[in-house]
Amino acid sequence: MPSLLVVIFAVELFVQLVNTIGSATINNLLWRIALSLPIPLSSEFAAQRKKQKDYLAIRRELNATSSQDEFAKWARLRRQHDKLLEDLEKRKKELDGSKTKFDRTLTTVRLVATRGVQWFLPFWYSREPMFWLPYGWFPYYVEWFASFPRAPLGSVSIVVWQWACTGVLTLVMETVMAVFGLVVATRQKQQEKQKAKQAVPAAGAGEDSKAEAR
Amino acid sequence: MSTAVINAGDDHLEPTLQSILDQRSLRWIFVGGKGGVGKTTTSCSLAIQLAKVRRSVLLISTDPAHNLSDAFSQKFGKEARLIDGFTNLSAMEIDPNGSIQDLLAGQGENEGAGDMGGVGGMMQDLAFAIPGIDEAMSFAEVLKQVKSLSYETIIFDTAPTGHTLRFLQFPSVLEKALAKVSQLSSQYGPLLNGFLGSNGTLPNGQNLNEMMEKLETLRATISEVNTQFKDERLTTFVCVCIPEFLSLYETERMIQELATYGIDTHSIVVNQLLFPKPGSDCEQCTARRKMQKKYLDQIEELYDEFNVVKMPLLVEEVRGKERLEKFSEMLVKPFVPPQ
Repeated sequence: MPSLLVVIFAVELFVQLVNTIGSATINNLLWRIALSLPIPLSSEFAAQRKKQKDYLAIRRELNATSSQDEFAKWARLRRQHDKLLEDLEKRKKELDGSKTKFDRTLTTVRLVATRGVQWFLPFWYSREPMFWLPYGWFPYYVEWFASFPRAPLGSVSIVVWQWACTGVLTLVMETVMAVFGLVVATRQKQQEKQKAKQAVPAAGAGEDSKAEAR
Repeated sequence: MSTAVINAGDDHLEPTLQSILDQRSLRWIFVGGKGGVGKTTTSCSLAIQLAKVRRSVLLISTDPAHNLSDAFSQKFGKEARLIDGFTNLSAMEIDPNGSIQDLLAGQGENEGAGDMGGVGGMMQDLAFAIPGIDEAMSFAEVLKQVKSLSYETIIFDTAPTGHTLRFLQFPSVLEKALAKVSQLSSQYGPLLNGFLGSNGTLPNGQNLNEMMEKLETLRATISEVNTQFKDERLTTFVCVCIPEFLSLYETERMIQELATYGIDTHSIVVNQLLFPKPGSDCEQCTARRKMQKKYLDQIEELYDEFNVVKMPLLVEEVRGKERLEKFSEMLVKPFVPPQ
C-alpha cells in the first residue's frame, strides 16, 4: 500500500476534481461510455433509437397520406404508428428506469469513495503520525495543533495533513479555474470582435443574385 | 356499374352475418357505430334472424334515445317484453341514467329515498366521481336480471360510439380502483374502526363495512361480466357504418379500441348503400354512388378478415315487423342490385 500521505492527497485531489467538474457531468460521461460498450444495455438503447427512427418515418408517411383518398393505407399506417408509439413509450419508461438506477449506483460509489474515505481514514489512523516535525523548531502550541487530535505530540496528524491538502488543492484549483476562465473570456471577446467585423451575409447574397440576374 | 360492387372475391370472407347465426356459443352480441348509421335497424334485423335459429333472443337498447319502440311500433320498457308476432324474441329498453337513480333510491331506503342519505349518498358521490360508472352499474344490474331470465342470446343496441367504448373499458378501471380500496380498508380497517366506534359509522351516518361490502359485490359482478365479454366464444361486436369518411374513421378507431379491450369483432355492416337503376339520370345518386364506391373499396381492402355485409339504402323507412323481416333477409343473403 502506498504511503498514507499519498493516499490522503489522492483522495483530496479526487474530491476536488469531482467538485470542479460536477457530479452530473461525470455521471453523464460515464453513462455515455457505458452505452458505447458492447453490453446488453447499450444494444437496447440502440434498438430504441432505431425504433424511434422507424416511428418518425412512419409518421412522415402518415402525414403524407390522405386519409380520405387512401383510407386503407392510412388506417394501416395509423395502426403501425399507434403500436410503435405505445411500444416506444413503454420502453422509454424502462430505459429511463435503468438510467436512474445507473445514476444511483454511481452516486453511491462516488460518495463512498470520497466522503466515506475522507471520514474513515482520519478516524482509523488518528493515532498514527504522518511524519515528525524537526525537534524543537516549533513552539508547543504549534506542535499541539499539528498533532491534533490524537497523534503523538511532535508529529503531524492525519487530520491536519488532510486539512493542509484540502487548502492547497483548493487554492490551486481556484487559480487554475481563474486562469482558464480568463483565457476563455479573452478568446470569446476576440471572436465577437471578428464577428462584428464580418459583413452581413444576406446583404452580400442579395447583391450577388442581382449581379447574376444582370 | 352497379354489379361491380358485389364482388366478393375468393380471398374475402362471406359477406353475410351467417357466421354469427352459426356460432351457437354466442351469448352477447353488441351492435355499435356512429349515430345515425342504422344501428337499431341492424340490431333489430339481426335479432329477427337470430330468433329463427335460437330458442330465445332478447334485444336490449342502451341508447338513451330509444328507437326500438319506433322500429317495432310497440312500446317497450325496463322489463323484457315479447315483440308482437314473435314467440321467442323479446325486447327491453334501459336508460343508463334512469337505472342509476333507481339503484341509488333502493340503497338509501333507510333515510328515505328523497335526501339520498346513507350509502346511497356515498354511492351517488361515487357515481358522479368516476366517469362511466353510472353506465357500468346499470349494466351490471341489467346483466344480473338478464342472467336470471335465461335467454340464449342477448343483443345490445348500444349508444353511439363514445358511450359504448367508455362502458366497455370501464370494468378494468373500476376493478383496479376497487381492488386498491379493498386492500386499503382491510389494512386500515381496524384503525378506522377505532376512530369510528364499534359500528363503523361514518360521520354522515354511513356504514363503512356495509359500503365496502356493496363495492365488493359490484366489483365481483363487473369482473365476471368483463371476463365474459372478453371471451370470443361468448361475445362479439358488430360494427355498423356507412361508406363515408367520418363513419369509417370512427369504425377503425372502434375496432382498434375493441382490440385493446380484448373484445372480439369480425363483422362490419355497411349500411345505406346506393344502387341507382341503370340509366338513372339522378345526378346526386350517381355522385354519391361514386364516393361510396371509393370508401367501399377501401373497406374491402382494409378489413379483409372481416365479414363485410353490404346493405342497400331503401326508398322507404325500415319500420314495422314485415319491413324489418324483409330487410333482415339481406343480412344472410347478399343483396343483388336490380339490373
